[in-house]
Amino acid sequence: MTETLSHNKETYQNTSQPAVRVRGLSRRFGNNPPVLHGLDLTIAPGEFVALLGHSGSGKSTLLRTLAGLDPVTEGEVSTPDEISVVFQESRLLPWKTVWENVALAQQSATRAQATRLLDEVGLAHRQDAWPLTLSGGEAQRAALARALIREPAFLMLDEPFAALDALTRLRMQALVATLWQRHHSAVLLVTHDVDEALTLADRAIVLDKGRIRLDMPIPLERPRRHADPVFERLRTQLLEELGVHT
Amino acid sequence: MSGASFHNAPPLLPRDKASLAAPPAHPRHQKTGTRGPIHRIRWSVLPALGRYASPVILVLLWQAACSTGLISTRLFASPLQILATGWGLAQDGTLQANLGVSLLRAASGLALALATGISLALIAALSRIGENVIDAPIQILRTLPVLALAPLFILWFGIGELPKVLLVALGATFPVYLNLHKGIRAIDPKLLEMAHTIGLSRWQRIRNVILPGALPDLLVGTRLAVSIAWLMLVVAEQINASSGIGHMMMDAQDFLRTDIIFVGLAIYGLLGLISDQGVRILERRALVWRQPSAQGRGQNHD
Repeated sequence: MTETLSHNKETYQNTSQPAVRVRGLSRRFGNNPPVLHGLDLTIAPGEFVALLGHSGSGKSTLLRTLAGLDPVTEGEVSTPDEISVVFQESRLLPWKTVWENVALAQQSATRAQATRLLDEVGLAHRQDAWPLTLSGGEAQRAALARALIREPAFLMLDEPFAALDALTRLRMQALVATLWQRHHSAVLLVTHDVDEALTLADRAIVLDKGRIRLDMPIPLERPRRHADPVFERLRTQLLEELGVHT
Repeated sequence: MSGASFHNAPPLLPRDKASLAAPPAHPRHQKTGTRGPIHRIRWSVLPALGRYASPVILVLLWQAACSTGLISTRLFASPLQILATGWGLAQDGTLQANLGVSLLRAASGLALALATGISLALIAALSRIGENVIDAPIQILRTLPVLALAPLFILWFGIGELPKVLLVALGATFPVYLNLHKGIRAIDPKLLEMAHTIGLSRWQRIRNVILPGALPDLLVGTRLAVSIAWLMLVVAEQINASSGIGHMMMDAQDFLRTDIIFVGLAIYGLLGLISDQGVRILERRALVWRQPSAQGRGQNHD
């Protein structure tokens, strides 16, 4: 475990200007064991990082801290000014139409800009709809458009597809891959899905009891094929770190 | 145009579940389109007639009882008499003058109640200090029967318009405050978190998230406030007034004119009914986003 930590420090020292830098971040609620324990993490500009871990491993707390929703009580966190978050639920305002929801996220946004972003996520035809009339997949597309209209340097995705059916999830993953290549944001994807992490990310991090248990580069060409032997090997390794033995 | 842009979208962005789920939506619409009217005729028009038949028969019996002398018309004016009196009062302008005065009192009182109730609820629901300072006194005050304050209001504010408007306002403030306060407290914290992550200022959060989110409760409060406003007005106008529908009725009492009293009752009833319908229509307009069937605004599912 100490090896992982020192490896992280090296990465941090080698990277000149990281998009996200976390140093010695700890978080504790009451007298319980710490949710985050002296965490170090660096994400380079434009880098796609997947964050895996069991429930209660500290994933959500880390993401909420990076999003500015939870305070930093111990340690240091620096993030870019322009950040966006896509949550597991779309969190669209039901009393605003889809395009109004998208435009709301950027102070000076025009309707044309919102329409352009909705077109990018394949939802331009629903821009006048009320959010309650959208399907789960459509709502998450709208949430992605809302996140991207802010032109974020750092995009956080908090299990964004966990509530979608399997086919929709695959389509949304392809969409995220396309959008990431177009927008070049640094991305932190919190997920339970090992295949999703290996399909999308440059690096997979496994969090366990508030510490980084594994920080693994994914040196695969894109688009990635599940049948690739390297993919298979990394998959087995990730699953073992998560305590699933295949 | 939107349809075309969708078709231009790269095939990498496939349609998701919604597009697949959309077609069944059409048969559903057709079903309500073709089978609806029959249903409506059979199940809503006939019972509606049934519902109105009973009051109509009662009125006819009432008229018959008066005409045959079964009921003293001095104590219980007949329906025809009431209609004639109402017509007469409208002809000489008495009704309009008194109605105008009553409407103005109710409207000013209600406006005051909305302004006060909304401001207090915002302060109490959005700040801890406001909650402590405002909520406790209001919760205590609301247990008082507001009508019991009428004598005090006359001593404080005299016998002009002010005590009447204030009595209406006081009674109507509570439902506005209580419902809006509850509505703001019930707003999904996840939406507020989202508002935080997209960098909305405090005022923008109030305008875009908190007020629209609490609007359904505010409208419920407004509907209650409207009915309470009429109640307060009736009492205020009967205790001490030289004009207004209530005054017209009290005057009629002195001359044993039950027909005029019944006209006043009917007017109050109509006012209550109309204002309630007004708020309902407002509700349907303002909360159109809650009815997935009313999606309107040009979309195409395919």
